[in-house]
Amino acid sequence: MDQSHIRNFSIIAHIDHGKSTLADRILQLTGAISDREMRDQVLDSMDLERERGITIKAQAVRVMYTADDGETYQLNLIDTPGHVDFSYEVSRSLAACEGALLVVDASQGIEAQTLANAYLAIEGDLELVPVLNKIDLPAADPDLHARALADLIGDDPEHVLRISAKTGQGVKDVLEAIVNRVPPPAGDPDAPSRALVFDSVYDQYRGVVAFIRVVDGEITAGQRVRAMATGSDFDAEEVGVMSPAMTPIGRLCAGESGYIVTGLKSLVDLRVGDTLTLAAAPAAEALPGYREAKPMVFCGLFPVDADDYPDLRDALEKLSLNDASLVWEPETSQALGFGFRCGFLGLLHMDIIRERLEREYDLDLITTTPNVEYEVTTTSGDLLEVRSPVDLPSPNHIEQIEEPYVRCTMLVPQDFVGAVMGLCQERRGAFVTMMPIENRQQVVYDMPLAEIVLDFYDQLKSRTRGYASLDYEPIGNRQSPLVKLDILLAGEPVDALSMIVHRDSAYARGKGLVERLKETIPRQMFEVPVQAAIGGKIIARETVKAKRKDVLAKCYGGDISRKRKLLEKQKEGKKRMKHVGSVEVPQEAFLAVLQLDGASGQ
Amino acid sequence: MTRGDPAGVAHLYVHLPFCASRCGYCAFVVEVGREESRDAYLGAVLAELARERAVLGPLETVYLGGGTPTLMGADRLAALLGAIRPMLAPGAEVTVEANPETIDDALAHALVQAGATRVSLGAQSSRPHLLEVLDRRARPGDAERAVRALRHAGIGEISMDLMLAVPGQTTADLADDLAWVVAQDPDHVSWYELEFKEGSAIARGPHAPPDDDLAADLYEQAVQGLEAAGYRWYELANFARPGRECRHSLAYWHARDYLGIGVGAVSTLGGERRRNAPGLDRYMAALAAGDEPPRTREAVDADTRRRERWMLGTRLDEPLDIAWAGAPDHPDALDALEARGLLERRHGTVILTRRGRLLQNAVVQQIMDFA
Repeated sequence: MDQSHIRNFSIIAHIDHGKSTLADRILQLTGAISDREMRDQVLDSMDLERERGITIKAQAVRVMYTADDGETYQLNLIDTPGHVDFSYEVSRSLAACEGALLVVDASQGIEAQTLANAYLAIEGDLELVPVLNKIDLPAADPDLHARALADLIGDDPEHVLRISAKTGQGVKDVLEAIVNRVPPPAGDPDAPSRALVFDSVYDQYRGVVAFIRVVDGEITAGQRVRAMATGSDFDAEEVGVMSPAMTPIGRLCAGESGYIVTGLKSLVDLRVGDTLTLAAAPAAEALPGYREAKPMVFCGLFPVDADDYPDLRDALEKLSLNDASLVWEPETSQALGFGFRCGFLGLLHMDIIRERLEREYDLDLITTTPNVEYEVTTTSGDLLEVRSPVDLPSPNHIEQIEEPYVRCTMLVPQDFVGAVMGLCQERRGAFVTMMPIENRQQVVYDMPLAEIVLDFYDQLKSRTRGYASLDYEPIGNRQSPLVKLDILLAGEPVDALSMIVHRDSAYARGKGLVERLKETIPRQMFEVPVQAAIGGKIIARETVKAKRKDVLAKCYGGDISRKRKLLEKQKEGKKRMKHVGSVEVPQEAFLAVLQLDGASGQ
Repeated sequence: MTRGDPAGVAHLYVHLPFCASRCGYCAFVVEVGREESRDAYLGAVLAELARERAVLGPLETVYLGGGTPTLMGADRLAALLGAIRPMLAPGAEVTVEANPETIDDALAHALVQAGATRVSLGAQSSRPHLLEVLDRRARPGDAERAVRALRHAGIGEISMDLMLAVPGQTTADLADDLAWVVAQDPDHVSWYELEFKEGSAIARGPHAPPDDDLAADLYEQAVQGLEAAGYRWYELANFARPGRECRHSLAYWHARDYLGIGVGAVSTLGGERRRNAPGLDRYMAALAAGDEPPRTREAVDADTRRRERWMLGTRLDEPLDIAWAGAPDHPDALDALEARGLLERRHGTVILTRRGRLLQNAVVQQIMDFA
């Protein structure tokens, strides 16, 4: 199709602001799916995602729309992941578009995440079409939010569309706006072919399926295709569009979006952001913006039952097939046995993976304290990437440590600004700026990512009664005075409880942690000292007192089986304990680290 | 062999389930009221005894437990003991459990006449507020009167049951109970920790159970007080004047075979443990029809037997013979426990230290696998 009749767009919205409902309504209105086929949120196919209201996997759906001008247009809706952890994926999806619908709930207003993605779109030179959704709700305040939305993107409040995706009211206006306001693609159909990979999935029968936007030239089924960044070559086994089911069409031309079946066996061979070109006539230069998705948050995952280790490995292998950003390697802990150190894009990504492992693969897991990746320069000049506190060299071998920083953007109701700033200060935040947006303040801090991964989000929510929203983006590494905090049980260091902390907060953290551990570890047959130490120096100590009495009452009338079964039941309960040296430690203890601030900060 | 000792089983338990009311902490098979059923029940028990007669040898011990056996009344108890009497070995111990408020001079005489050598009085406490928490019907003075009546009737031995770790119980309460029970001068004392079952009447009451440290204080106080008064702490919860240990209970702890008859009663006979089903009517109906009462059976295999011998034998203050009990599942645990001062080994035996006895449950779980 001629590029003047093509529109590529995506929808930017906060969780629950109605992106999926609007997408469904567009499919319905353009006849892409019949009412009978209609089910809610067609685009979110995974149960877990639907439950959490999150879209992880972007897809591109093509619909044909005959506009009021009588012409028929090809509209490609490119779905974007909806969470802070996936901002790179969002940026690639946006790079495949010329415009975006900026959808905001007419009762809730703008959220931090919307803001962040809107800025991404503005940076990418996308035409933004502001949309207020859910105007049918009694709590809607469209006038207020329309002004704010217009202010944000420098538009006229009159241009803000007011719709209800639920009832369908105003959705046709949205389609007209896409045709009239979003510019058509402007690639060169005759130049060497270049297509942006903005998403990929692994299909067990067909291998890697890439979602692409052709910028220049065209790609035809059967051609030899090359991925420029990874260097992989493959045959385009099938080329097609989602409408919304996979439909082969044989060829994608400049300006069009669709999918390509590659036959590649692993997502590692084809990364999001890569540029496809033809092996026979390769383009000289790749499209800009590619970078490797880098895990930001790490934790150890260990099976509660050591026998489950092979099952955990199988499950991680299966999840990795469809998630190139999940990285993992075997890890051995003295306390927890064999497990894996896993890397995630962010905290939500970590939660999703852990939950899928437990739910879909029926595994009982112990998760160690999440941490970030530290860059350590040793005294001998070596550069180490440390992803686990266990791997941190001893202090006398460390020249310096750098840790990743992020820029945190929070939207906070006026009344809670003080509380949020206090929290950010506690977490070593450096104030950047503050400005009003609607009736709230946008507060921006630069903070160590390590301070976010513990329980920052929970704290932010609890100190603002749930009203604050958060977004963050990496801004590189900075040098910090960091130390390793060790925990000793009965004199033995427990590797799985070690953490890397700022020198100034080490004492408070150590004290809080041993106090919490003391509460979590049940009394044993002997006294158990719980100590926190830095470089061999004890900085805090608590004691789990020895159990003084543990007897079962009489066996009445000779009912010996009942007593024996009581012991068997107790044994069953103890199975979920981990033996650390001679100490029985419940799983909750390994999470005590996470609740640190809950214990000492309130 | 599945039917017990070749010489015949030497220990008989008879369950008499009737009670005037259910106590708040009770989880035993008891029947409240049902006075009209007592004759029929006696008939059923005698019928079951006749059915099982063949496994019995000369009886060294007999124990009538409940429920409240004395609610059967003097005549029925006399009939039951009369039926058992021909089976007794010379010098047999015949215990009847009783609640203090049910004992008067007439009943005391009747018991002695019928052949009871020992009465175990469920006193539980002398403290009125604790008796109330426990839902006991005895009033202050009942236990003293019962002891006097039994002595007057010429009973051989008196045991008193007491409880500790009762909600609301203080160390001062325990000191009072201690002085009180020593003043009664029983031959034997059982001092049990209250099992605090979630959802039971007592758990819903106004008092929280004592915390672990207070419960340990109370336990140690009871042990030390009774030892100071000349009682031997011969089992975790049992104390006796020398030579006055309960031989029936020792049979359990020595893992001997025993026959239990009556509703809900448990027997261990060779490689089998069996349990009469609860449910008074079904029990009586089966025996009235000439059938075996409804029962569940459980095999006690060699490993189970070994674990039970350790579980029971380490409750006593006498050394456990390892060769007799069977190999420990975790021999290295014995080293660790000995190093921690929780047990001692000598000439192929194991005996728990005083501290080890207070932790017997945890200790035995280190030595044996209960799974």
